[in-house]
Amino acid sequence: MRLKVDGKEMEAREGALLLELVQVPTLCHHPHTETRGLCRLCLVEVDGRLSPACATEAREGMEVWSDTPGLRALRKTLLEWLLLTTDLSLAPELQALALALEAEPGRWGEVPGRKGREAIEDNPFFLRDYAKCVNCRRCVDACGDGIMGVYALTLTGRGLLAHPTTPLDRPLPETPCVFCGNCVQVCPTGALRPLTEV
Amino acid sequence: MRTTCPYCGVGCQLEPEVRAGRVVRVLAPDLPPNHGALCVKGRFGLDFPFSGKRLLYPMLRERKGAPLRRVSWEEALDFAAHRLHETLKAHGPEALAVFPSAKTTNEEVYLAQKLARVLLSTHNVDHCSRLCHSSSTAALSRALGGASMTNPLEDIWKTDLFLVVGSNTTETHPVIAAMIKKRVRQGARMIVVDPRYTGMAEAATLWLRVRPGTDLFLLNAMARVVVEEGLWNRAYVEERTEGFQAWAESLAPYTLERAEEVTGVPGERIREAARLYATTERAGAYWAMGVTQHTKGTATAQALVNLALATGKVGREGAGLNPLRGQNNVQGAGDMGALPDVLPGYAKVAEEEARRRFEAFWGVPLSPKPGLRMTEVFEAIPEVKAIYLIGEDPMTSEPFQDHTKAQLEALPFLIVQDILENETTPFADVVFPAASFLEKEGTFTNTDRRVQRVRRVLDPPGEARPDWWITRELGRRLAALSGRPWPLHEGPEAIWEEIRRALPGMMGGISYRRLEKEGVRWPCPSEDHPGEAVLFRERFNTPSGRARFFPVDYTPPAETPDEAYPLTLSTGRVLFHWHGGTLSRNSRLEAAYPELKVEVNPRDAARLGIADGERVFVVSRRGRIQARAWVTDRTPEGVVYAPFHFAEAPANRLTQDALDPISRIPEYKVSAVRLEKLD
Ligand code: SF4
Ligand code: SF4
Ligand code: SF4
Ligand code: FES
Repeated sequence: MRLKVDGKEMEAREGALLLELVQVPTLCHHPHTETRGLCRLCLVEVDGRLSPACATEAREGMEVWSDTPGLRALRKTLLEWLLLTTDLSLAPELQALALALEAEPGRWGEVPGRKGREAIEDNPFFLRDYAKCVNCRRCVDACGDGIMGVYALTLTGRGLLAHPTTPLDRPLPETPCVFCGNCVQVCPTGALRPLTEV
Repeated sequence: MRTTCPYCGVGCQLEPEVRAGRVVRVLAPDLPPNHGALCVKGRFGLDFPFSGKRLLYPMLRERKGAPLRRVSWEEALDFAAHRLHETLKAHGPEALAVFPSAKTTNEEVYLAQKLARVLLSTHNVDHCSRLCHSSSTAALSRALGGASMTNPLEDIWKTDLFLVVGSNTTETHPVIAAMIKKRVRQGARMIVVDPRYTGMAEAATLWLRVRPGTDLFLLNAMARVVVEEGLWNRAYVEERTEGFQAWAESLAPYTLERAEEVTGVPGERIREAARLYATTERAGAYWAMGVTQHTKGTATAQALVNLALATGKVGREGAGLNPLRGQNNVQGAGDMGALPDVLPGYAKVAEEEARRRFEAFWGVPLSPKPGLRMTEVFEAIPEVKAIYLIGEDPMTSEPFQDHTKAQLEALPFLIVQDILENETTPFADVVFPAASFLEKEGTFTNTDRRVQRVRRVLDPPGEARPDWWITRELGRRLAALSGRPWPLHEGPEAIWEEIRRALPGMMGGISYRRLEKEGVRWPCPSEDHPGEAVLFRERFNTPSGRARFFPVDYTPPAETPDEAYPLTLSTGRVLFHWHGGTLSRNSRLEAAYPELKVEVNPRDAARLGIADGERVFVVSRRGRIQARAWVTDRTPEGVVYAPFHFAEAPANRLTQDALDPISRIPEYKVSAVRLEKLD
């Protein structure tokens, strides 16, 4: 199957994700949890429309642009909003990306965010520090369909207020959680981290 | 650095991140068998090497009653070698026993069993799988000529029906359970046979709640349906098996009506299960201790084997017979010959040709008489006068604890080689402090025959040394005393190279260099061989190449409830702990599950006036322990369930030592008990 990526003709196998063909930043995508298409950081232009590279399959004759000024501006804005709302101090990759894109979160003024949230320590193994959470949902998928089938984590709230938590906000030991830490492994921001690391 | 989890037989690959001599975080790489997933034990339970209970220095006691005193390695090793040699001279090889451990590496097990056979001339070699899967081993070996999982774990993704018998997989092999459950979410079906409402039962398409100790009846009844309804695989049975006719006839008494009476499972459900299993082409059977730890453990495993053979499930992708091995290196310990009747690679001690080969390879004569099994060794004290115990804690793991204690007290000489102080250490005459899995090199073999690397990421504390080093040094001294050959291996890789030469067809193609990347499954005869995934595709490992049916009959458990002891006690494990608890209870896992809880059905609780969380005594004919009652319908009426991880309240004080006649496994799963309120 042939398609055009950033002006160059390319060969791709059937069913390949655009992510495998282009170099774009990702945040919510994770191969084990199959989480995709949420954070919009990996957006590319496909035949003139914006599509997430992590959730779009290559098709014959497609024309894909991965690094236009418009896309860069979009990624920069996304990151600025993340920096404004979230504590990214344990996410070095996102920080580096912000630097590379010359993000200036200050230009949006003050935004109400989750930065002030207190970390939840309700079990002997790991911490849930949602001030650092970017809502990528990898943890929810790792715990649910992706790996464990335990469903001790769910998403609550909408839009900017959406965030992962336990069913009815119970402490983890009162949920079906088995403390496998698979959610901790896939969390990209340190929002979930072992107590031994704190 | 990547290494292999030291807890269970899944053999998860893990990457501990070490900072300032501590494990701060454990990640899992995207490699088989676990592909990034772990369970709580591998993820958060790896801090036991830092426990205050670490044995740090060699110690010995000159005579019984004297205290253990710290000595140098030289002194401890010399002392131990002399005592073993004296015992050998005075009482002969039968008076000695060596127990390698299924928690140590292949290299270490190989060396320990070699020490027993070559330097002490004894086949009294065994390890803890005697107490877990010896029944499966016995059944599979005689029927198929091999005793491991027939299919790889990757086959879970190709399986359309899981038949899970007596395995609390979600707690004992959690990563496998997560895989199976994911496959079920993708549309596969699952039949679970278990008295308890386990995580697997919860995810099952069909849950058959058998009465404890009656699975054999159920499996035979399923088989009877298969035969009666003509659902058996004629072509397969004719081409690849023998003994079908006699077996089919032996099923006559196992009618659905009788099965319903004995097992408590409605006959129609048994029929449904039989049809589902027989008519699904890719149907894999998985089982564990619920099958094996009975006086009829071997027979029950055999019934499962028979059923699989009749329906043509062995030697096929996505199907097969898959005993889930418990300890991290149970498979390896068996492969390396830590068994009294077989040499490395399962060559029978009693067979002349096999013996000759190893006599030539090691340069010593070998006795044709198989040794004693672990349970028999403890019985044979004080005729058995010296035991070299590596990484085992019989005080916690043997049944009928008070008896074990008396036996250990009567034993003239005991060497304990371990990483942590445990319930057995007080009985030791010599203590060798060993290095933990984080502190040494070597290989473990997981439940699906995958040989995987163990790597040193930390230095051993104090004067602790890797088990291979200790065994090598002890061997060096014994060899000097006896004049027998004992090549000094420079390290684990050199020992592995000897193993490759000893077992060319099985391990010949597996080199450390190859294992750098990922584990390789045996049999693997050459470096360009990928390692065998599915066993017995073409022929079985029996002399005729055909698998054999063995008719097996149901017998009730050795002890049944009566007026004085009206409840049935079943023992097992919980997610947060591991076996005797030596490792898990010296780690962060302890905080999540600090004390013994005994599961009691709400109806029994109501009848006895026991409230959830109340302290109770569990009492059997052999002893009593204290526990906290957990009132839950996970356990059926009439059955209480207790994990055996708690040394201060050892469930094995209650269990009996009634043994399976073939595998000599004790009946841990059924004993009669009563509950008493504390006040
Ligand atoms: S640790 Fe608990 S919440 Fe996290 S994935 Fe495992 S079961 Fe789910
Ligand atoms: S806790 Fe971590 S994994 Fe979960 S949504 Fe937040 S950032 Fe993502
Ligand atoms: S499933 Fe077994 S091997 Fe894997 S992490 Fe858990 S205890 Fe370790
Ligand atoms: S990585 Fe593609 S949308 Fe998040």
